[in-house]
Amino acid sequence: MLRHTMLFAGYEFGVLRRNLAWPIIGIMQPVLYLLLFAPLLTSIAPNGTLAEALVMFTPAALVMIALFGSMFAGFGMINETRNGVLERLAVSQAWRPAIILGRVVKDMAMLVLQSVLVLGVAALMGLRISLAAMGLMLLLMAVTGLFSANLSYGLALAVRDENGMSQIVQFFLLPLMLLSGLMLPMSVAPEWMQTVAKFNPLYYAVEAGRAMFVDDFTHSTVPIAFGLFLVLGVLTLTWSVRSLRKLAG
Amino acid sequence: MIIEAHDLRKTFVAKRGRGKTEEVEAVRGIDLAVDEGEIFACLGPNGAGKTTTVRMLATFTAPTSGTARVAGFDVVKEAAMVRERIGYVGQNGGVDENAPGLESLVLAGRIAGLSRKQALARAEELFATFSLTEIANRPVKTLSGGQKRRFSLAIGLVNRPPLVFLDEPTTGLDPQNRANLWDEIRTLRDQGTSVLLTTHYLDEADALCDRLVIVDHGKIVAEGTPEKLKKEVSGDVVTLRLDDLEGARKLLAAQPYITETQTEGESLRAYLDDGEHNLPALLRALEAEDLAIRSISLDRATLDDVFLKHTGRSLRDAA
Repeated sequence: MLRHTMLFAGYEFGVLRRNLAWPIIGIMQPVLYLLLFAPLLTSIAPNGTLAEALVMFTPAALVMIALFGSMFAGFGMINETRNGVLERLAVSQAWRPAIILGRVVKDMAMLVLQSVLVLGVAALMGLRISLAAMGLMLLLMAVTGLFSANLSYGLALAVRDENGMSQIVQFFLLPLMLLSGLMLPMSVAPEWMQTVAKFNPLYYAVEAGRAMFVDDFTHSTVPIAFGLFLVLGVLTLTWSVRSLRKLAG
Repeated sequence: MIIEAHDLRKTFVAKRGRGKTEEVEAVRGIDLAVDEGEIFACLGPNGAGKTTTVRMLATFTAPTSGTARVAGFDVVKEAAMVRERIGYVGQNGGVDENAPGLESLVLAGRIAGLSRKQALARAEELFATFSLTEIANRPVKTLSGGQKRRFSLAIGLVNRPPLVFLDEPTTGLDPQNRANLWDEIRTLRDQGTSVLLTTHYLDEADALCDRLVIVDHGKIVAEGTPEKLKKEVSGDVVTLRLDDLEGARKLLAAQPYITETQTEGESLRAYLDDGEHNLPALLRALEAEDLAIRSISLDRATLDDVFLKHTGRSLRDAA
């Protein structure tokens, strides 16, 4: 089981290594946000410093790569529902969840690597956080990726149409982003928005990230975020493996 | 018996928009018995249920009813055992376009339980067999259709399966590549691998397979060796175009040397043995009745004539 997962992941890493340009372009968006958006937040930071703004915004920039990077991961799989690759794998000796999990492992690893780079840029700009905060944040990114990549593969296998999938992803992405306090903290939002945000799993990721960045590891959102994404990750994996089975009709 | 299927059926629920669904019976009771070491073909038009049948035998799709044993194991209850013993090459090839063929093959080998070293050795062997060694490291999307098809075949054989399924293996290939692939499939058979292939090409079924079934609308309409099936219809066929089709058909049906007549569109097909010697008599009979012939041809009967006999349609016209 684990062997098959690692085999698929290894294969995916190979594909990635041959096409390094795409993940590099993918990471430009959060870096640009850090460079061009974080300075705007200095005005609402308590002491008006960029370092404070970065503590507020860097976790958000990280969740953004989790969203934008992983939610589109499934697109590659839509083609594989048609070109016969999944059909072939489904009748091979492969442990079926490994077909999805191998890719998810790759997406999670990519996400962590991209996060390290974003954290590096933020540090250059003046972000100072503890090593513990950094480690936990990377772990949180991994579980966020577990959820959003699985969700994306599940969606791809259920929809099996690039146009449909991109509409659905776009439809959910914007409200999820705005209601997670990703751009501005939800504390500046009206009460009804704060209430709605409590139903958005990404809200907990962003808030937990912000808490951890100031070494507040016991903040209520921290265990909620980790637990929530682990559970959602398992649920979405189950869903995508079931969709894989339905492929044959 | 490497494949034994009894009364296989598959019904799909197809969406018809606005929440309506419709049941489509893709396979409506198929029995198959394939011997070890033979090339067995499912011949039929598109939509006949060939692919669905193969998918059920290869454990991709579960049958709605009926049973099948492949390589000694039940395709539903013992799917994992079946998967260890089959190779499956789908209609679309199933090769990742973005990676070199070598990578796909090594992955497939390792999933089948080989170590990295063993998988590389097996890859080398298969690439030599299919003349792929020089292009093994090129991304598959840069290869020609024939090369891609050979990679699919190589991947399907990585676990040295005793049985390999080939779903329309030569569709879209040029004549040269088709002939080469036929040779490769024959070589497989000669090495003891059983092959079940589907095709809508008459000449392919005729030239390549040891036995075949003709499938139409999800059912088997004829079964046997190509020779036996062609013997069912007489050896030769005269195809005529003339104005009074029905008059000519009646006249020819009454001739002692004509075994069967079929009208198909605007032409009349008359089956007979020893066509070269009987053709003059046929021409005289038509002339005596003043039936003007627009065109006439004499051919050997093919599997298309078998298909026509059983379904009333020509395979060339069947959609």
